[in-house]
Amino acid sequence: MSANPDIPATAIAEAVRAGSTSARSMVQASLDRIAATEPRINAFTEVLSERALRRADFVDAHPRRARMKLAGVPFAVKNLYDVAGLTTLAGSKIERTRPPAARDAALIRRLEAEGAVLVGALNMDEYAYGFTTENTHYGATHNPHDLARVSGGSSGGSAAAVAAGQVPLTLGSDTNGSIRVPASLCGIFGLKPTFGRLPRTGSYPFVASLDHLGPFARCAADLALTYDAMQGADRDDPACAQRGVEPVSPLLARGSGGLRIGVLGGWFRDMALTDATAAVDAVAQALGTTRLVELPEVERARAAAFVVTCGEGAALHLDDLRVRAMDFDPMTRDRFLANALIPHAWVMQAQRVRHWFARRVARVFETVDVLLAPATPCVAPAIGTDWIDIAGQRLPARASMGLLTQPISCIGLPVATVPLWGLSASAPHMPIGVQLIAAPWREDLCLRVAAALEAQGICSAPVARGL
Amino acid sequence: MTVVDHSAYIDAAAATLGLKITAEQRKGVAMYFGLAAAMAEKLEGLPLHAADESGNVFVPVVPEGEG
Repeated sequence: MSANPDIPATAIAEAVRAGSTSARSMVQASLDRIAATEPRINAFTEVLSERALRRADFVDAHPRRARMKLAGVPFAVKNLYDVAGLTTLAGSKIERTRPPAARDAALIRRLEAEGAVLVGALNMDEYAYGFTTENTHYGATHNPHDLARVSGGSSGGSAAAVAAGQVPLTLGSDTNGSIRVPASLCGIFGLKPTFGRLPRTGSYPFVASLDHLGPFARCAADLALTYDAMQGADRDDPACAQRGVEPVSPLLARGSGGLRIGVLGGWFRDMALTDATAAVDAVAQALGTTRLVELPEVERARAAAFVVTCGEGAALHLDDLRVRAMDFDPMTRDRFLANALIPHAWVMQAQRVRHWFARRVARVFETVDVLLAPATPCVAPAIGTDWIDIAGQRLPARASMGLLTQPISCIGLPVATVPLWGLSASAPHMPIGVQLIAAPWREDLCLRVAAALEAQGICSAPVARGL
Repeated sequence: MTVVDHSAYIDAAAATLGLKITAEQRKGVAMYFGLAAAMAEKLEGLPLHAADESGNVFVPVVPEGEG
């Protein structure tokens, strides 16, 4: 097999299992691609060449290699995942002074148990508080499809590495949209599973009651394969549900036929530019639906996610805010300081509103299986953009990237994000994502629809050219 | 949106928590606190009841090797 950066993880694993290529050659190809493109992308904060090649040799010699689902597949993780021997940075300068992690995060261990090979750690917004990965300490991660634009965030390195063909798989985290936003802006597939589905053990928290972990890939089959390998209960994460593995890969071929699909209206159209609504309309047309669905009180749900984030996120950093506030990224410092001061009653009220909203949305899912919404209000803005005009309002550009994702992660629904192209009149070379949203624990439906759209040629995630 | 001057609250809360807000940080902190306050204001007015209490649930920790 050649070292083509377009090769999906499923094909790499199949070839390594069959012995037609080696894990070492696939990992070396990934390391070479990283070395060639990284000066322009800045996706990685650490490349683990020695560890990766040693692990690749381990996979090649492993007696179970022919049964490993991810045999020889290179992957990388957002730098809030623990990697044994590395200090977990979470995008910060402050964490540099902490001791290195003693063991890998649970999801890394699960992927490596299936033969995947970790090749590095990826850039992000400091402490996951941002949607653009314009990190002052480690530099901005550039969008591989237009280097002058942001990659999205906070898992910007995770999305850019996949879009640049550096690795076929990455892991990120999503508290308010940090998988779905960069997947949308970098033109790749992303999955934010149901809250509590995947264990967060060995990852640096942002907002414990909202944090989700999940994968990025360039096709739905790779997303499903990775997700399946990571499922399962873990007693070390109290939020992780005690559910067995429910594999979705065998279900992808069922397609979208028979599913009741609706398009979210109201907030989800009002707060999106035509780039984004056109993407949703294209998906709706491909799926043969004209049904419009309105959720109640979406703006309040977004506000609830915002306030919970303020309260929980800042409390975690109170000690550092007291003694070394100047070591925070200027992009987050004043926000964390302000958020540390908010009254507890606001946060509790936000949690109650969140609970109210979850119950109302559950009723909606009694008559619909999958809901469609834009993942971002627009395509990736230029690095350094401060303001954006949406619905006649001048809004802060960075925070507004999550306007359409926050109400959904607020209540923990599973979402697959799929990339569409050529829908922006001003930037026809840029992608934009559509959220495929299902009821809790129905990741299978999100991924079935994603696979169906891919099979129809509606969405795709080509590696960026000319890097 | 209700217009409230939060500056006295910010000073008192910062002092209570042992946080120093420098002159350089003050404008940004006030702006972000005001943004949070505006969001919190949106959370008022829903007909919430006891059954809508937070879903945050404490999970007891079982000793290793048990359960």
